[in-house]
Amino acid sequence: MEAPLSEALEKFVILETGDERGEFAALLLAMLGAEVIKIEGRGGAESRRIGPFLSRAGRTQSLHFARYNLGKKSLRLDFEQPQVAEVRERLASLVDVIVDSGEASVIDRRLKLYRAMRSVNPGLIVCTLTPFGLTGPYRDLKMTDLTQLAMGGVMASCGYDPSPDGKYDTPPIAPAMWQACHIAGAHAVLAILAALHFREITGTGDLIDLSIHETVSNCTEVAIPSYIYNRAVVQRQTGRHAAEHPTRPWLRRTADGRYVKAFMFWSRHEARVIGEMLTEAGIEHDLHSEEYKQLCERSPSAAHSHLNELVDRLAASMTSEELFHKAQAKGLLWASVRTPEENLADPHFVARGTFQSIDSPAAGRPLNFPASVATDGAKPLTRFKSGAPELGEHTREVLLRLGLDSTKIDRLIMDDTLAKV
Amino acid sequence: MEQRNRPFPLEGIRVIDLTKIVAGPNATRMLASMGAEVIRVEWHDQRALDLLRMLRPSVPGGAPDSVNRSGLFNNLNAGKYGITLNMSLPQGRDLFKRLIAKAAVLCENYSPDQMEKWGLGYSELKQINPGLIYLQITGMGKSGTYNAYRSVGPTAQALSGLTHMSGLPEPMPPAGWGYSYLDHSTGYFGAILVLAALMNRRRTGQGCYIDLSQTETGLMLSGTAILQAQATSKPTERYGNRMPFTDWAPHGAFRCRGNDEWIAISVQNDEQWAQLVELMGSPAWARSSRFARAADRKAQEDELERLLSEFTKVHDRYELMEQLQRRGIPAAAVQNAADRCERDPQLKSRGYFTPLPQSEIGTWPVEEFPAKTESTPLSVGGPPGRAAPLLGEDNDYVYREILGLTPQEIAALREDWVI
Repeated sequence: MEAPLSEALEKFVILETGDERGEFAALLLAMLGAEVIKIEGRGGAESRRIGPFLSRAGRTQSLHFARYNLGKKSLRLDFEQPQVAEVRERLASLVDVIVDSGEASVIDRRLKLYRAMRSVNPGLIVCTLTPFGLTGPYRDLKMTDLTQLAMGGVMASCGYDPSPDGKYDTPPIAPAMWQACHIAGAHAVLAILAALHFREITGTGDLIDLSIHETVSNCTEVAIPSYIYNRAVVQRQTGRHAAEHPTRPWLRRTADGRYVKAFMFWSRHEARVIGEMLTEAGIEHDLHSEEYKQLCERSPSAAHSHLNELVDRLAASMTSEELFHKAQAKGLLWASVRTPEENLADPHFVARGTFQSIDSPAAGRPLNFPASVATDGAKPLTRFKSGAPELGEHTREVLLRLGLDSTKIDRLIMDDTLAKV
Repeated sequence: MEQRNRPFPLEGIRVIDLTKIVAGPNATRMLASMGAEVIRVEWHDQRALDLLRMLRPSVPGGAPDSVNRSGLFNNLNAGKYGITLNMSLPQGRDLFKRLIAKAAVLCENYSPDQMEKWGLGYSELKQINPGLIYLQITGMGKSGTYNAYRSVGPTAQALSGLTHMSGLPEPMPPAGWGYSYLDHSTGYFGAILVLAALMNRRRTGQGCYIDLSQTETGLMLSGTAILQAQATSKPTERYGNRMPFTDWAPHGAFRCRGNDEWIAISVQNDEQWAQLVELMGSPAWARSSRFARAADRKAQEDELERLLSEFTKVHDRYELMEQLQRRGIPAAAVQNAADRCERDPQLKSRGYFTPLPQSEIGTWPVEEFPAKTESTPLSVGGPPGRAAPLLGEDNDYVYREILGLTPQEIAALREDWVI
C-alpha cells in the first residue's frame, strides 16, 4: 500500500509571509500535505481583493483567494512589529520553510528578521520570490504578471500570424492567467524540495533567492536555443508554435463554430487516416489515389497544401467534440479546444478524481477545484485538507501551539498587534 | 565553487530516464540539476531515439547524420548520462531490469501501454525493486477513459482550456501558447511529485506509481476560470492582455518604434496613471475627466489603448520602459530571445547562462536552474558537469561500473545489437 503524496510533506510546517506572487508555491506545498500558515496583516492578504469575486457588486468573497489559498491556515499578525518578536522567535522553532514574495526592497527588510529566525533554527529554509531576484541592475523594477511575461520572453512567442506583408498588426499576447506566478511558484517548490532533501542529509537550512524573471525565461522552450545555436528569432503564429519560418495551421474551425487543434506531422500515415475520416464523413477526396501519392513525391509542399484544405473541410463537417474523439480513435494527436470548465463533467477526469469539491467560505458554497495532476493508477495522488481560511481563522490555534498562554494572546489582541480572532 | 564541495541534494539517487521530447526530459533535467544520476536510455531506431536529436536548432557542421548536434536537446538534457539499449530484444529488457534494480526512480513518457507490452509495467518492476518510484507522463493520464488517447503538449493545452483562454476576444480565434507550455510545466510537476515521493520513501521505504497527466497539469494552471464558470454559469472568455478582475487600466502591449517592437504597460492605480499622463506631456485627452478614475479607464479600454498607442509608437521600447519605471509604473519591453541573450543586463548579472561542454559540439551556454541558493548545490550540469550526453556516450560507465559487466560481455552485447 503506497502512501499517497498528499501526506508526503505532512511533517513540514511552512510559513507564507508575502504577496500573491508566492501563493501558488505555498498552495502546491499544501497540496502535498505540508501545514501552511499564512501570515496576514491588518487588512488581510491583498489577494482577498483580487477578482473574480463571487459577487461583482460587493467585491468580497474573492475566488482568487479561494483558489490560491486552499488548505492553508490564516494567522493574523503584524509580522514585522517589535511587539511580536517573541512570536517570531517561537515560529522560528516551529517552521521548516518560509515562503516570502514581493518587491526586493520589501524582502530586504524582512530578511533581517529571517536571519534572526535562522539563528534560532539553522535548519530553516527561506525562499524569496521577487521580480528579478535580490541582486542585479533590474532588482527594483516594478512588475506585474503581464510585464514579467513580456520581459521573460513568453509574450514574444504567443499571438497571431503576421499580415500577408509579413508585418504584425496584432500585439504579442500574455496567456491568461497569472502564469508568471505559476511558473515561478513551480520553480520555488522545486528549489524548496531540493533544499529539504539537502537538509535531510546535512541538517543545514538555506536562503533561496528566486527571480521570477529567470523562471519565466527558463520556460520558453526552443526560443533561446534557436537564438544561441542558429541566431534565429522565432516568430509568433496563430494557435501554434512560434517558429523560424511560417508553418501550416493547427486550429480548425468546426461545424459548431468552435475549434479543434489538429496537431500534425504531415506524414503519409496521417494523410491515409484523414482520408478514411473524409470517406466516413461522405466528403470526396483523393488522398488514397495514385495521383496524390505522386504529388507527395513530386511536390510535398503542394501535397501538404492540398491535405490542409481537406482537413479544413473535414473539420467543418462535424462538431469539435465529434472530431476530437474520431481523430483520437484513428490515432491522431488532435483535441477539441475546450474551456477549462468543460472538463468538469468529462468522464475521464471524473474517473481520475481530478477535481475536489471543497466548501470554501469565500465562495459561499462547495465548488470543484483542480486538486490533482496525477493518480496512483486508481485514485488521485493529492488532495487539499480544507478550503481557503477566513482572515485570522487560526490565529489563536497557532499561538497556543507556539506556547503562548491565553492571557498573553488576549493582551496582544488588545494591543491590536493581532486582530480579533 | 564552494558548493561543489557539498553533496548535491539528490546525491546517490539514480534515475532511469526513458523520456523523449520536452515534458519528460524537463522533469529529469530538474532532478539532474539537484544531483540525481540521470541515465537516459535510447536506441538507434526512430521509436526509441529522441526526436529532438534530429530537429533544429542544431550546430552547423559535423557528420550529416549526426544525432548529437541539436541545441534544444543539449539544453534539455544537460547533466545527464546517456546509454543505448535495445528494449525490443529480450536481452535488452533483461538489462533494463537490472538497471531498475539499482535505481530509485524511473521516468518515462512512451505511449501509454508500451511498457506493459514489454512486460515492464509498474506491477512487474515493483517486484524487482519495491522502493521504485515510477513516473509515467502521458497527455491525458494513463487511468481513465482516455487511456488510449495520444497527445503532445499542444493537444493537452487545447483540451485543458489553456489554448482557449489565451488571446484576443471573439471573433478572433484563440492565440494559444506559442510553444509547448504544458511540456515545460508537466516537467516541473513531474519533478515535484518525484521529490515528494522521495520524501515519502525516506519515511516509509516505499516507492509508488505516479500517473501524471499533462491535461490535468493544464487544469491546475487555469487560474480561477473553472471557479468563475461554476459561480456565474457563464463560459470562460478571452480578454487579450487586459486584466478583467481588477481596475488596472491601461494594461496591455503597445507598439513602439521599430519593427514589431512592443512595450507592456500595467497601470494599477490613479497615482500611476497621473504619472503616465505627466510623462506623456499631459495631453488634453489624458487630462480629461473621462479617464481620471480607474473604473472609467477600465470602462473605456478600447479608446484608452488606441490613444496610448499613439504616444508609445514613436518611442524606443527600452527608453520608454526606463522612463515609466522611474515614475513607478510597471512596464517592460517585450523581449525576444535575442534581447534576452544579448541585451538583458539582469540575466547576465545573475549568471543565467552556464557554459557547459558537450563531447561533439564543444562548449555552449545552457540555461541554469533559475534560483540562487546559499547552501544547497543546484547546477544544470549535474553530476557529470557537462551538457547533454552523446547517444550512448556512457555505455562503458553504466554497463561496467553500475551493472558490473566485463569488457568481454559488453563487447558481446554490442555485437548482438543489444547495447
